[in-house]
Amino acid sequence: MDPPIINEASFSAANPSSYSLTEIWPFPINGEPGIGGGLGLRMSSLSGFGEAAMNRDLSVDESTVTEQSGGGRKRRYANSEDESSRLVSTSSGNDLNNSSGKRMKLSQSRDENGGSRSEAEANSESGNKLAEKSTKSSEPPKQDYIHVRARRGQATDSHSLAERARREKISERMKILQDLVPGCNKVIGKALVLDEIINYIQSLQCQVEFLSMKLEVVNSRVNPHIEGFPSKDLGPTTFDTSGMIFGLQPTREYVQGSQPEWLQMQVHNSFDRAKHDLTTPH
Amino acid sequence: MTPHLSSTNPSSIKTRFAYKFLRALKRLNRHRPTSPPSPNDIFRGFRMIKMASYASMASAVGSRRGWSRAVLRKIRCRALEIRRRRKCGGMIRRRSGERNKVDKLRNLVPGGEAMDLCSLLDETAHYIGCLTTQVQVMRNIVDLCST
Repeated sequence: MDPPIINEASFSAANPSSYSLTEIWPFPINGEPGIGGGLGLRMSSLSGFGEAAMNRDLSVDESTVTEQSGGGRKRRYANSEDESSRLVSTSSGNDLNNSSGKRMKLSQSRDENGGSRSEAEANSESGNKLAEKSTKSSEPPKQDYIHVRARRGQATDSHSLAERARREKISERMKILQDLVPGCNKVIGKALVLDEIINYIQSLQCQVEFLSMKLEVVNSRVNPHIEGFPSKDLGPTTFDTSGMIFGLQPTREYVQGSQPEWLQMQVHNSFDRAKHDLTTPH
Repeated sequence: MTPHLSSTNPSSIKTRFAYKFLRALKRLNRHRPTSPPSPNDIFRGFRMIKMASYASMASAVGSRRGWSRAVLRKIRCRALEIRRRRKCGGMIRRRSGERNKVDKLRNLVPGGEAMDLCSLLDETAHYIGCLTTQVQVMRNIVDLCST
């Protein structure tokens, strides 16, 4: 059963004149009983589909190898359809068996025709879709699909696309981080960049600890002197944070301005002691 | 904010952090014991100030960031967090290479344990920026106090 199918596929794919045949073929199938009824011999072989008929067909095919060139054979079959009575009557069993074999092919090729036609449409569709790089998972023939993917070096299924998008996102974030961390631009390699980032965060956190230690020491040294500091000045309006934010403004202005009194007292009373304490522990 | 702060951007994270942090410092100072501090007190005060700085930074950032949410939550239920961390301490597995580094980064960025890599890096970038600001403001405060 296999060789006729292969012949059919190659024929419909390769032969440019296949359109006429594919258009012609359904009609003989429909008109088969009529014709077959007229031809008793063929009808018997057709209805039998017996192994004997197949064997005979194969043996005849061996003898008529030259005729198995796809289109020629089928065209001959079409001719035999047109002039079937003449062929059957005049020629010997060769043509009869051929016709029976072709009829078997025909009965299969009814399905095959539909299948191949849809496949052809799928081929054209898949070509368009691959050209458009659409991500939809159509059902193109797998060989074409793999072929294109191998050529472009890109996977187009949704998982790979998502993974690629994620990787791009990560590398983008890494670039932002590299710009953020000083001295990280020259470092190459993700692991080393991560190392730099980790070190930088750790150093920043250590600085925060150190500065809060400093503040604590300053406050604790100063605190006994200022136990009675006025709580009215604790309101938010008394803070002049601009000096602290930028640090460029001179401290004198800060002292003269709306500074809370505890800071003033800190500055004036225990400047030396605080400074001494701050420099010693670290 | 007050009008005389209009020279700076009142809604910037820097301004808000400085404001919140100074308020927290005042509150801490108010509850300070009058007796001369023991080393234990100093250590406790240091930890309080550190926590206050992180908390004021997190509240200045607000709850739109993962790490600030994590900091605020951690401070809100500190004892619970400490207990959990102790429990988790034995479960840390050692990995190799890049994964190990990512895990280290996860431990550094607050709330990073539950993030995927992409958002972890995003939060890390924001966290670094905020830490830089925090260090800057705190250094300015210390300079002001000690000069």
